[in-house]
Amino acid sequence: MEPVIERISVKTNVLNANQQTALANRELFHKEGLLVMNLMSAPGAGKTTLLEATICALQGKLRVAVIEGDLQTDLDAQRIEALGVRAFQITTGTVCHLDARMISRALESFPISDLDLLVIENVGNLICPSSFDLGESLRVVVCSVAEGPEKPKKYPVMFNKADLVLINKVDLAEPSGADLQELMNNVAEVSPNATILALSARTGEGMPPWINWLQYAVDSHASSSRMLNVSL
Amino acid sequence: MHEIAIAESIVQIAEEKARSQNARSVRVVKLRLGTFTTIVAEALQFAFEIAQQGTSCSEAQLEIEIVPMIVRCVVCEESSEPVRGICLICGQCGFPLQIVSGEELQIDYIEVD
Ligand SMILES: Nc1nc2c(ncn2[C@@H]2O[C@H](COP(=O)(O)OP(=O)(O)OP(=O)(O)O)[C@@H](O)[C@H]2O)c(=O)[nH]1
Ligand SMILES: [Mg+2]
Ligand SMILES: [Zn+2]
Repeated sequence: MEPVIERISVKTNVLNANQQTALANRELFHKEGLLVMNLMSAPGAGKTTLLEATICALQGKLRVAVIEGDLQTDLDAQRIEALGVRAFQITTGTVCHLDARMISRALESFPISDLDLLVIENVGNLICPSSFDLGESLRVVVCSVAEGPEKPKKYPVMFNKADLVLINKVDLAEPSGADLQELMNNVAEVSPNATILALSARTGEGMPPWINWLQYAVDSHASSSRMLNVSL
Repeated sequence: MHEIAIAESIVQIAEEKARSQNARSVRVVKLRLGTFTTIVAEALQFAFEIAQQGTSCSEAQLEIEIVPMIVRCVVCEESSEPVRGICLICGQCGFPLQIVSGEELQIDYIEVD
C-alpha cells in the first residue's frame, strides 16, 4: 500500500527562533534603558580601533561596555579592557557570526544595568552577521577605504540594513588612490536611508561628527526608553 | 558558512511541525528563498543533506523556490527588478525604493506521511 502523503502549511520564517530570542534581548535592553549597537564589517576594517578611539572620546560622557565576537582569541577584548572599559569576549569557534542566543548567554554573567551604551563587535564578515538580529537598536557597518569602492555593491544586504555606514581609514584615501566619492555613492545607492560618515580611527580625522551622532542616538534612545517603561 | 545554521533551523522547524501533526516522516520541505538574502541555494542544499541526518527529515527533499527581488518607488509607484549593481534609488525621481520582495527565507509547507 502506498503511504498517504499529506501537505501541511507552515509559513514560518527560518530565523524565527533567533528572532524570538532577539526580541527578548531587545526588551531587556529597553528595560535597562541602554542603547545597544551591532558593529559589523569585513575582517580588519577597523572596528576595534574605532572602538578604542570612541571610548577615549566618550570618557566621562557615557558609560560604555563592549561584547567582542571573534572565531578565536580574546585579543580584541583585551584591547578594550586595557582602556579600563568592561569587555566580554565571545569566541564562536567555527561559527561565522554572532546570534541572539550567544548574546543572551553572555548577559548571564555580564552586567549591563549601569550602562548607557553597549557595543557588540560582530565577527569580521560582510555576509552572515546581517541575517542574525541580536536585539540591537542600531546597526553600524564599517567599510574601509582600502577595501575598494565596490564593496557595498558586492555585499548589498549587509549595507542595506545599516542605520549608519562609517567609511574608515580616510587617511589612506590619498596615498592609495582610492576613490572615496565613488565609495560613498555606492553606499548611498544600496542603503539610501543610512547616514554616511567618513573618518579615520587612526588619525582622528572626522571623529567629532561620529561622536556627536552617537551621543545624540544614546540621548534620544534613553528618553524613548523612559517613556516606554513608564507606559508599560 | 551560515548555511549550516540555516539548514539546522529548517530541519528543526519541519520536525516540530511534523511531530505536532503526529506525522511519521517528512518527505518534502518547501522553502521560499529571496534573492536579496545572503543564502546561496546550492550551499543550503548541501548543508541540508548534513543537517537532515538522523532526524525525521532524513528522507526529505528540500525544494527551493527562488523569489526574485522586486523594488517599488512610493512616489511614482514604478515597480522593477533591479539589475546587476543593485541601486535602491528611483531613477525617475531620486527617492529611496522600497523592497517589495526578495528578502524571503520562509518554510512554505512540508509534506509528510
Ligand atoms: N591607516 C589606518 N589604519 C587603520 C585605521 N583603523 C584601523 N586601522 C588598522 O587596520 C588594522 C585592523 O584594525 P582592527 O581595528 O583590528 O580591525 P577589526 O575590524 O577590529 O578586525 P577584526 O576584529 O579582526 O575583524 C589594524 O592594523 C589597524 O591599526 C585607520 O583609520 N587608518
Ligand atoms: Mg576587532
Ligand atoms: Zn520614483
